[in-house]
Amino acid sequence: MPTRHLPPALARLIRIVTWIENGLLITLLALMVSLAGAQILLRNLFDLSILDVDQLLRLLVLWVALLGAVAASREGKHIRVDVLSRWLPARVRAGAQALTDIFTIGVCLLLAWQAVRFIRAEAGVNAFGAVPGWAAELILPAAFALIALRYSLLLAHHLRQSLGREDIP
Amino acid sequence: MILTGLALLLLVLLGAPLFAVIAASTLLAFARTDADLTVVIIEIYRLAEMPVLLAIPLFTFAGYLLAESRAPQRLVRITNALLGWLPGGLAAVVLVVCALFTAFTGASGITIVALGALLYPALKQAGYPERFSLGLITTSGSIGLLFAPSLPLILYSVVAQQLNIGQPVAISALFIAGILPGILIIVLLAIWGLWQQRSHEIPQAPFSAREALAAVRDAAWELPLPIIVLGGIYSGYFAVSEAAAVTALYVLIVEVFIHREIRLPDLPGVMRESMVLVGAILIVLSMSLASTNYLLDAEVPAQLFAYIREHVQDKYGFLLLLTLFLLVLGMMLDIFSALVIMVPLMLPIAIGYGIHPVHFGIIFLATMEIGYLLPPVGMNLFIASYRFNRPVLEIFRAVLPFIAILIFAVLIITYWPWLSLGLLPH
Repeated sequence: MPTRHLPPALARLIRIVTWIENGLLITLLALMVSLAGAQILLRNLFDLSILDVDQLLRLLVLWVALLGAVAASREGKHIRVDVLSRWLPARVRAGAQALTDIFTIGVCLLLAWQAVRFIRAEAGVNAFGAVPGWAAELILPAAFALIALRYSLLLAHHLRQSLGREDIP
Repeated sequence: MILTGLALLLLVLLGAPLFAVIAASTLLAFARTDADLTVVIIEIYRLAEMPVLLAIPLFTFAGYLLAESRAPQRLVRITNALLGWLPGGLAAVVLVVCALFTAFTGASGITIVALGALLYPALKQAGYPERFSLGLITTSGSIGLLFAPSLPLILYSVVAQQLNIGQPVAISALFIAGILPGILIIVLLAIWGLWQQRSHEIPQAPFSAREALAAVRDAAWELPLPIIVLGGIYSGYFAVSEAAAVTALYVLIVEVFIHREIRLPDLPGVMRESMVLVGAILIVLSMSLASTNYLLDAEVPAQLFAYIREHVQDKYGFLLLLTLFLLVLGMMLDIFSALVIMVPLMLPIAIGYGIHPVHFGIIFLATMEIGYLLPPVGMNLFIASYRFNRPVLEIFRAVLPFIAILIFAVLIITYWPWLSLGLLPH
């Protein structure tokens, strides 16, 4: 996502956030592949199954899925029905996209807020083993806030495009 | 209530992400019943409570690795060596290769991108008419989603299991049920490929044992893969998520460390790319878990069933209606969203008419396969148009005969339940 219209400090902050998102996503996927493989080896060679690993793997699915969704927001790769906008004139289309961006930001912020309430309500409960609930659930508000952030950046572009201040690719 | 519904529909048509629209409608519905809205978050958190979902990132990762390596070339070579000498052989090669590849890469349009550039020139060179070649490649992009371990099959089972329908819908059952209908589709299309040869002089390459042997040796590392995955799952030795883990690890080792076709520095990029698809699918799934919860609470499927029952008496009338409806649905929604949004509504109705849930799943997926080829949103049309630099309309004309054949296949699959259920253990 181009950041050239942003103030340099903000652009740098966003690059750092992107780097962390990517790093975390890749690390967690690598962890998932290795743990899932190790689990099978243990089961077949030693007839051993570590319960916590199973639960950790399931949790990793949630984290990887939501981080993947954040990455999809960055690249505009979310699943959508693109029936109408394809046929609109470019600037009108940018305006319509700005409208759907605002809607998405609103929904994601609401979800992030509900996720914070959810974590508060579950305070003190462990997710599994010694892992506190909030550590496992942290990704929920974080991911929705980050998706809202990405759509805010998209919104800025779409607004500029609809006003004719930015070229439409 | 009707107004908010219309507003949400407009947002969908304007291109709002589906997950946000489903989330908004579910939040609104729960808010109207004065429920605590954290219920939506609790449902999303259930992504971490379904062991089978682990299979989705792992298989997708393996599929992307295969697509990035030279495995597609090796697959084409070996299939060509084994089938290419038959009459209509190359068309059959295209179908088989694409089906296998799609099954492993999750029917996300990646097949046309990865294999199109290889197979399209080969078809033209072999003397097949241009329009047929274009149509075949475009159609083949989604052929194979009835074969294990395709993502839509897994996703259908996950969604169906949320519905408390009283009958288990195991992934392994779907993997078995898809075999014969999947083969039927390939055979029908292969016959159409053979028919193309009637008037055109298409020289056939003779079978060469030497080339066959060389091709087998070339693909020696990938050949065990279907056996590990399918053998492991069908024999019950592996759970589906375990088969996915073995596949991911095996493909990773083969393509990165043995063939060295994906350089280590490129690996993080492939990992991220594949998880973008996983994230996009699973976030829609998570929202639909919440909306399904609401729909079941409000007994919407039961009311729908009662309403339809008044107008459609028997199973066969319902099945016809269902096929038509799914075709229209396929024009609007991609297969993943259609699965998570429509299955919770339609499966309970189908069961009310006495249709087996596994059979319903196969009908659903086979019909949605046609949706890939229908405007205005059919994904294969746009990918092929982009890949081969042709107008969408020209591609659409090229796939018309293929659509007719697929509809014929879907009718057979719909009205001959044995095809889907015959191989299932009783």
